Amino acid sequence: MHQSVLPRLVRVCCVPLLLFAALSCHSPNNGSAELRKQFFVAFSQCNNAEPYRAAQNALMTKLFSAYPDVRLVISDAQQDNSKQIAQIETFIRQKPQLLIVAPNERAALTAVMGQAMEAHIPTICLERDILQPNYTSYIRSDNFAIGRMVGTFIVDYLKKKYGAPKGIVVQMRGLLGVEAEMNRDGGAKSVLAAYPDIRIVAEPVADWIQAKAKDRMTEVLRVQPKIDLVYGHNDPMAIGAYLAAKELGRDKEMAFVGVDGLGGPAGGVRKVMDGVLAATFVYPLCVDKAAQIGIRILREPGFRPDKQYQIDSEMVTPANAAEVYKRLTVPGAE
Amino acid sequence: MADLLRAEKVARSYGGVYALKGVNFALRAGEVHALMGENGAGKSTLIKILAGSVKPDRGSILVDEKPVSINTPLDSQRFGLGIIYQELDFFPNLTVGENIVIRNLHFPQSSFVNYRRIDSFCRPFLDQVGFNGDSRGLVGALPIGQLQLVALARALSMNARMILMDEPTSALAADGVRRLLSLICALRDRGISIVYVSHKMEEVFAVCDRATVLRDGETIGTRQVQNTTTAELIRMMVGRDVENRQQTESSRAGDVLLSVNALTTGKLKNVSFDLHQGEVLGVAGLVGSGRSALGAALFGLDPVKSGDIRLRGNSIKPRSPASAIAQGIGLVPEDRKLQGLMMQMSVLENSTISTIGRMCRFGFISRNHENEMAEPLFRQLKLKSASPLSQVSTLSGGNQQKALLARWLLIDPDVLFLDDPARGIDIVAKQDIYRIIARLAEAGKGLILVSSELPELLNCCHRIIVLNQGRVSLTVDSSEASQELIMAAAISAQAGGEQQ
Amino acid sequence: MTLHARELAVRASSGVSSAFAVDGVKRMAALAGVILLAILISPAASDGSRIFLDPGNLTDILRQVSLIGIISLAMTFVILTGGIDLSVGSILALSTSLSAMALTRFWPSSSYLAHICLTLLLATLASALAGTLNGAVIALFDIQPFIATLASMIGLRGLAKWITQNANIDIGFGQDVAAAFASIFRQKSLVIGSYALLAFVFWILLGRTVFGRHVRAIGDNETAARYAGLPIRRVKSIVYILSGLLAGYAGILYTAENSQGNPNAGVGYELDAIAAVVIGGTRLSGGKGSIAGTIVGTLIMGILTNMLRLKNVDSNVEMMIKAIIIVLAVAIQKQRRAA
Repeated sequence: MHQSVLPRLVRVCCVPLLLFAALSCHSPNNGSAELRKQFFVAFSQCNNAEPYRAAQNALMTKLFSAYPDVRLVISDAQQDNSKQIAQIETFIRQKPQLLIVAPNERAALTAVMGQAMEAHIPTICLERDILQPNYTSYIRSDNFAIGRMVGTFIVDYLKKKYGAPKGIVVQMRGLLGVEAEMNRDGGAKSVLAAYPDIRIVAEPVADWIQAKAKDRMTEVLRVQPKIDLVYGHNDPMAIGAYLAAKELGRDKEMAFVGVDGLGGPAGGVRKVMDGVLAATFVYPLCVDKAAQIGIRILREPGFRPDKQYQIDSEMVTPANAAEVYKRLTVPGAE
Repeated sequence: MADLLRAEKVARSYGGVYALKGVNFALRAGEVHALMGENGAGKSTLIKILAGSVKPDRGSILVDEKPVSINTPLDSQRFGLGIIYQELDFFPNLTVGENIVIRNLHFPQSSFVNYRRIDSFCRPFLDQVGFNGDSRGLVGALPIGQLQLVALARALSMNARMILMDEPTSALAADGVRRLLSLICALRDRGISIVYVSHKMEEVFAVCDRATVLRDGETIGTRQVQNTTTAELIRMMVGRDVENRQQTESSRAGDVLLSVNALTTGKLKNVSFDLHQGEVLGVAGLVGSGRSALGAALFGLDPVKSGDIRLRGNSIKPRSPASAIAQGIGLVPEDRKLQGLMMQMSVLENSTISTIGRMCRFGFISRNHENEMAEPLFRQLKLKSASPLSQVSTLSGGNQQKALLARWLLIDPDVLFLDDPARGIDIVAKQDIYRIIARLAEAGKGLILVSSELPELLNCCHRIIVLNQGRVSLTVDSSEASQELIMAAAISAQAGGEQQ
Repeated sequence: MTLHARELAVRASSGVSSAFAVDGVKRMAALAGVILLAILISPAASDGSRIFLDPGNLTDILRQVSLIGIISLAMTFVILTGGIDLSVGSILALSTSLSAMALTRFWPSSSYLAHICLTLLLATLASALAGTLNGAVIALFDIQPFIATLASMIGLRGLAKWITQNANIDIGFGQDVAAAFASIFRQKSLVIGSYALLAFVFWILLGRTVFGRHVRAIGDNETAARYAGLPIRRVKSIVYILSGLLAGYAGILYTAENSQGNPNAGVGYELDAIAAVVIGGTRLSGGKGSIAGTIVGTLIMGILTNMLRLKNVDSNVEMMIKAIIIVLAVAIQKQRRAA
């Protein structure tokens, strides 16, 4: 028995050794030069899979790469609260000089960001808010204002189509309970409330996902004989609705409006240029501001940023789409 | 005369323990050669080495006086060795024909299965051994007697010149044994040599020309069967004289313990008998006659259609094993591996599993208490194992059966039904088991013993009932019975083919 | 000499190591190996110490594995009987949804203590009921555990989504009973402590009680267990009820940790739990296994994850590495048994 134990022991040890070797070459932050960088910035992203977030990541990387003494690490929680909490906890252990968080859900991430603050780590909350102000600074865009802009657009569009503010609208909603969702809905409704002849006949939920939106829209199309406009709370959902209508030959019957306005060939701006979307509304990535204050936090020890920064949106129509496209397209954001 | 097959100084150890220390064995052409020994003597290991499934550590094997190396079962096939294992190695979901031709060097293999070609290949061999079934029937549906015929046919189809048979009759009833033995003689007359591994003296003396005895991994000696005696062979196997016959007390204690009246189930028809306190009642019959079915009915495994069972005058209705045990009836099943033991648990755990509730203190198992209850039984049963905590799968068949018996001794039912408890067990262990049965009887229990070995039934039991196609065809005191009488009652009134 | 000492003496003298003892030693060796590796490749903090060994980090790991760890304890029992429970994630979702609802919508005028107790009772009862349902279908109607728990996995999640209208139920950070509840049950010490306590209880249950013996016997050979008169239906039902109960408790902890009840919680948790059990040495076919093994399996997965995260390895690469570890762990154990 003794002679057969040794080869087995070797085999057992091989596994961790191989892992060690693999990780040593694979770790994206290897090399002593990297480790000697003075500043460590940790960015906890909630879901790389969404195009909006991928664009955030790309822009963040680009902006911070201009500073050779800053090491940026981005983690992906894949839309899982527990994962994001654990990832942030691990970041806290590594004592970054700056923590940026794009929270997956408001309630779930509140406590752990509080922990980061207690550990004296400057924390920037990006785009989505949390239940308590457990951050150094919160950078947001006004989703309610965007909603109002959409509402105004809808009224103008229907007035142009029928000569009067009346029509049938379908609203494609994102993940319920997220601030962006509530406000894009609330803002639009606050404008449309004044026009009783503009009716919202269906409000399916598609969780920000294009494929789901297509399925939901197909169901709505079967039920509704006539639709004038579809308001997708983000571009992928608006595009999904468009695809559903196209399949049933009804895409010319209605207009499609989205929110996000990302650059690049897959983004909403392009779709406006291509005539798929009647309009989109840029939802700022908020990353410019984050990088701006972030660097100041790193470099200026006495700097106290505002508790909240608001970035404004802009409307994109066929008239200005090409210009916006050039401005917003970031290499690597596709 | 040249030896057809010879093993010289073959040795094999498993993890420091020697199964074979240096065994010599020689087989001549046209002979039936018995290989005997207690369990653990090394017979199975030697067979596996000859079959190519195990490699020896040392020693050599010669076929036709030429050294050969048998590394895989295909090699042994090439050298003309056919093996029939005790635990028949068939694919139950494939047909008889498929089982025969798989990896058979004498059947031209192709990518397509042609049942007609398989059938025409197999038919002559199946006829030779007397198998009447369809070669397209599934192996899993066949009773064990038929399976053995198929195994023999397979060996013949591989053009085996030597056939190694490991305990071939352990699962057969008397008529099946008879048929097999005459088949063996026929094969020998055709020039095929047979190595016959067995415990059964009767068969050895009936059919074998020579016998080699192994003990503790060594060859003790080879004898001409006609020149030796049972006593001598046993002495060689055991190293000491052993009482071969069990004298039973001719008196039995009195009252009726168990009374079965007109019991009818799926397989039993109108079975009635009484079991007295302190009595060992034997149950004889052909395979399929309902012996195990009787145990199943008493133990709550088969639903009772009509009739009743009374224990001490009170009617009992066993609806499940748990309910049967609660009402005082126990069953030691036929297949200890599939139905009896938990192979991954220890000997101790297997023995105490049904009664562990008694060995607790404050709701938790007390290891000391458990040991105190089990150890004396192990000693009584002469259970040999490295330790009570060894896995029961490491034990020999005899010791496994003893572990199972220990469980029943702890449960202590009023009536214990033992279904062929000594099957596939070496002589010494058998004696131990029968001694325990006798002791249980003395203590006032009622025992029902099923066995295919008529001499043992006659030795151990006070009375014997014979089952025939689900009915009781004979009830007789063992002092007045004989093997012929029992066999006749078991076989009689069979219209057309016997059951196997 | 006590039995144990005699047993060791016999083993030592015979020179043949019992497979059981070797299994335990090698399992600890595997755990030690992983810990060593984690220490070796751990990034260093500013004062030179290994971040991995930071007590905060170590307790983080324990907290992060606690939920799956708790579920795995009962899953060990289920797998030991030769069954499986795929519905634990859905039971967790049901429990977290119900507890969040109870805290924010039911019994508005009760005292904090009563309210929290009622919440716990409700969540526990619901989970036990779910487990009972599983047990009944499997033990009484003799449906295969895989299929039965697959069905309840789908059905119970549907139920959770239905009663919450597929919306998350946030527990605020205000001054109400919900916040009080969250602050109690979110504490690291309570989470880790309850895992440790449950681990101990289940360890005793498996090793030292009649029930534990029966569980192993049934998984080893159900036919033989039936012939031995063991109460098979009762034992099987109980293991699924236990599984439901522990998944329910994990759901309560989840509510506190996330400050929300989420009907979409727990997706994939059953697979993580099964992985921990399997890495710990329990065979999926049943009969052989231990709680100690499951705990080691849970810790190994937790340490590996933490080790990779400290190195900021992409989470997708993390999943691939975990998959390799699972297969390797089972393969290495298979070799040991073959000897």
